[in-house]
Amino acid sequence: MITPVEAALLVFILCCAVATALLRDVLAAIIAFGAYSLGIAIIWVFLRAPDVGLTEASVGAGVMTVLLLLTIAKTTRPPDDRTFEQVNVPALAVSVLLVVSLSATLFALPAVGASDSAVATDEVTNYYLENAYEESHVKNAVTAVLASYRGFDTFGEAVVVYSAGIGLMIVLRREVLG
Amino acid sequence: MSADPVEEPQAPYVESPIIMTTVRVITPFVFTLGLFVMFHGADSSGGGFQGGVIVGTVVLMLGIAFGIETTRDWIGTTIPVGLVGLGVVAFLLAGIGSILLGGAFLQYDVYPIYHAAKYGMEFVELAIGLIVAGVVTGLFFVIASETTDDKEVDQ
Repeated sequence: MITPVEAALLVFILCCAVATALLRDVLAAIIAFGAYSLGIAIIWVFLRAPDVGLTEASVGAGVMTVLLLLTIAKTTRPPDDRTFEQVNVPALAVSVLLVVSLSATLFALPAVGASDSAVATDEVTNYYLENAYEESHVKNAVTAVLASYRGFDTFGEAVVVYSAGIGLMIVLRREVLG
Repeated sequence: MSADPVEEPQAPYVESPIIMTTVRVITPFVFTLGLFVMFHGADSSGGGFQGGVIVGTVVLMLGIAFGIETTRDWIGTTIPVGLVGLGVVAFLLAGIGSILLGGAFLQYDVYPIYHAAKYGMEFVELAIGLIVAGVVTGLFFVIASETTDDKEVDQ
């Protein structure tokens, strides 16, 4: 069952997300977005995924905030003093419709930690959990899967990061230096 | 070309003794934490991607504390790009090497070293960390330089 801490976190994340969308001042929106990422990172830890939580905290809350702050140094604050952005009603309706239709699939998900879910009973999962330590000598099964069993996929991921990063640097540097 | 950033109120860099002192004190610890997360990913949560971002954050902190242009001149623009390439090549060689020794791609136990799987995995995590840290640092420098150049054009 959901604990009060988790409920408070969810409310906090929802508020931060709405604030990010509605705040008119870009700086305030970025700060709200950083708080949102931090909340999501804690949620990952509650869901027993500390690896993902670490990534979300460092990339989402840390590096993204700095890069966004550097980017808005070029923008100017809108002249009027309204705190919140005006809501575009048709866009809001489309967003709500999308969220409602996607939420319909939530009921098909197994409960968190359910022992009869496909994740817990799957043959592959149990093979990793039973054999990861003997075969790869590491205690973290996630790392064993990432770097050993699925090493080729991880190599693909590394190449994606490489190509995306180098491509962006080349394009931006050309924009800067002409 | 390089106007004194303190003179510009809108510049992203503000010289602050508090930030400079804080960054000077915590930088070695953050760097060590990044390496720890990278190496210790085998036995606890973490790994190359997370550790690489934390190591990259060290450069971001230095840039915010001591000025991005100064940090970029100190580190150089080619080193981050070089590290990214080095990481990909190291990862690829670790995989190809095991094929040459008669195993499959990244089949660590064909390497004739003690606990080859564990140390091989940590080597791969380190390579991933190099890639991620290089990309974070390089993007930071490129995005920041665009900002300052625009400011100079505006004035």
